[in-house]
Amino acid sequence: MNSTTNIFNKNTNSNIEQNNKASRKRLNSIWKHIKKDKQLLIMFIPCLVFYIVFRYGPMYGIIIAFKKYNVYQGIIKSPWVGFRYFEQFFHGKDFFLLMRNTVLLGLYHFLWTFPCPIIFAILLNEVKAEKFKKTVQTVSYLPSFLSIVIIVSMVIDMLSPGHGIINRILVFLGFEKQYFMIKPKWFRTIYIASDIWAGTGFGSIIYLSALSSIDQSLYEAGKVDGCNRFNAIMHITLPSLFPTIATMFIIRAGNIFRIGYEKVLLMYNPMTYEVADIFSTYVYRKGLLESNYSYATAVGLFESIIALIMLVSANTLSRKLSESSLW
Amino acid sequence: MSKKWTLFDYINAFFMLIVLCVTLYPMLYIISVSFSDTVYILQNKVRLIPRGFNIEAYKMIFTDIRIPRAYLNTIIYTTVGTFINLFMTSLAAYPLAMKTFFGRKHFLIMITLTMFFSGGMIPNFLLVNSLNLIDTIWALVIPNAIWTIELLIIKSFFETLDKGIRESATIDGASEFRILFQIYIPLSKAALASVALFFFMGHWNSFFIPLVYLNDARKYPLTIVLRDMLIYDTAKESNMEDAARMTPEAMKNATIVVSMIPVLLVYPFAQKYFVKGVMLGSIKG
Repeated sequence: MNSTTNIFNKNTNSNIEQNNKASRKRLNSIWKHIKKDKQLLIMFIPCLVFYIVFRYGPMYGIIIAFKKYNVYQGIIKSPWVGFRYFEQFFHGKDFFLLMRNTVLLGLYHFLWTFPCPIIFAILLNEVKAEKFKKTVQTVSYLPSFLSIVIIVSMVIDMLSPGHGIINRILVFLGFEKQYFMIKPKWFRTIYIASDIWAGTGFGSIIYLSALSSIDQSLYEAGKVDGCNRFNAIMHITLPSLFPTIATMFIIRAGNIFRIGYEKVLLMYNPMTYEVADIFSTYVYRKGLLESNYSYATAVGLFESIIALIMLVSANTLSRKLSESSLW
Repeated sequence: MSKKWTLFDYINAFFMLIVLCVTLYPMLYIISVSFSDTVYILQNKVRLIPRGFNIEAYKMIFTDIRIPRAYLNTIIYTTVGTFINLFMTSLAAYPLAMKTFFGRKHFLIMITLTMFFSGGMIPNFLLVNSLNLIDTIWALVIPNAIWTIELLIIKSFFETLDKGIRESATIDGASEFRILFQIYIPLSKAALASVALFFFMGHWNSFFIPLVYLNDARKYPLTIVLRDMLIYDTAKESNMEDAARMTPEAMKNATIVVSMIPVLLVYPFAQKYFVKGVMLGSIKG
């Protein structure tokens, strides 16, 4: 056979035979690899099964958002309804309220709780008395070990109109006592303030460790150049922290609307629904309490997609503005 | 930094003192109320120290069947759950830590993707329901048997262990299972302890999962019982008729204290591992 025509005609006999031999060789080496790793693969099976059943299984279950799910018919046999539930949701009276509540709560929460651990870490890092510094640090992590039920119990107790400490102080100072938990206008403040109390210590850990790895000679050099304390913080400490701040920013911003339903669930009541009800608590009520499975799944899917978009945007933004990004 | 204190240092120290007080006060207040006499509580006389010190509330806790039972439930769920977590996580981390493991890259992608997207509340519930796990301990410990972040932490830690150990063990004829359980795990005690702490706290404090998956009140953990006392009472506070049937203040607070005990006891020792755990997580995450 003419060797030049072989270049244009790949399917010559000798080529097919060569291809077969090559793929047999590849299959053989793959098989050999599997045999060599047999024990490791067996070891990995529980994990694989776990992820397929409990992580990817529910992802498949999302299709009930597009079906009129009937428990008796099961997922496969339930009829398709397309985007009906999405339309129902978007045109419903709840949509705007939920959107507003989720966005505002998420935004305010982020704006208030993102800087606190950073500021706290920087200030704590400046403390000169070692023992005192360690004590404050240790105590500050303590609240994050408490369950959300305990924290909300404390909040409700301290704000109670009857014997709550906050109201006692208010009355002592000559103000009226307030029914904090049932007034919509207080909800966000209480939610965010208690999160600051419980989360600042824990959140500062990562910044404190980044701070401890800053080269001390930078500060010495700064002092020689005549920096005072404030300048040192602005020009040495903050820039050194920037990569950590950027990474945390992406992670937190990506989750900005993924507000924990647990805390809201414990804190809200019918009086404060108009401010407190967010997507995830709505999904809980409609889906688990009212058994409106398909509808709730549709809402949940909407929420997940928004969260994904937020994460990708935060990452892209961070990549554009700095060198740091998650991927 | 010089040892002399400037004005800034004094202000900073004062600020930290306030942080210390603000952080501790709610907890001290709760403890103090739990040891106080109801009379003083209702008169708003309790501020920081117990007034009319008594342990009535604690006696009530142990006679009310709900709480000891819930305490036992919580202990069981947490122990079983943490054990399953550690076992499954180590078992999965080991193969993933072997660079030449067949399919490693694909498995890692499959696992990491789950951190960014999940099925959501309802599909998860329907799955657990269809597996007939509802109202059993298994609904609490199996669907979250592996936490991706902790899995990646342990995998990274395993990767830092000397390859030579595994090589010589293999030459001596040890199986991978033996290497994992008799060599790698003992060598990883510190990392496993940090991760175990997160698992422990996660189970001990979990509220939503038991709320959704448990129906029988006798199976409730402490968090649910506490929440019932709390929610029931907030609703009733406006209705004075039911005030008498409300859980006495001291008892409510005593329940909170009792569920905080393991945390407070474990904390001084655990605190070290806690910080390490966060650090491991952040570097690898």
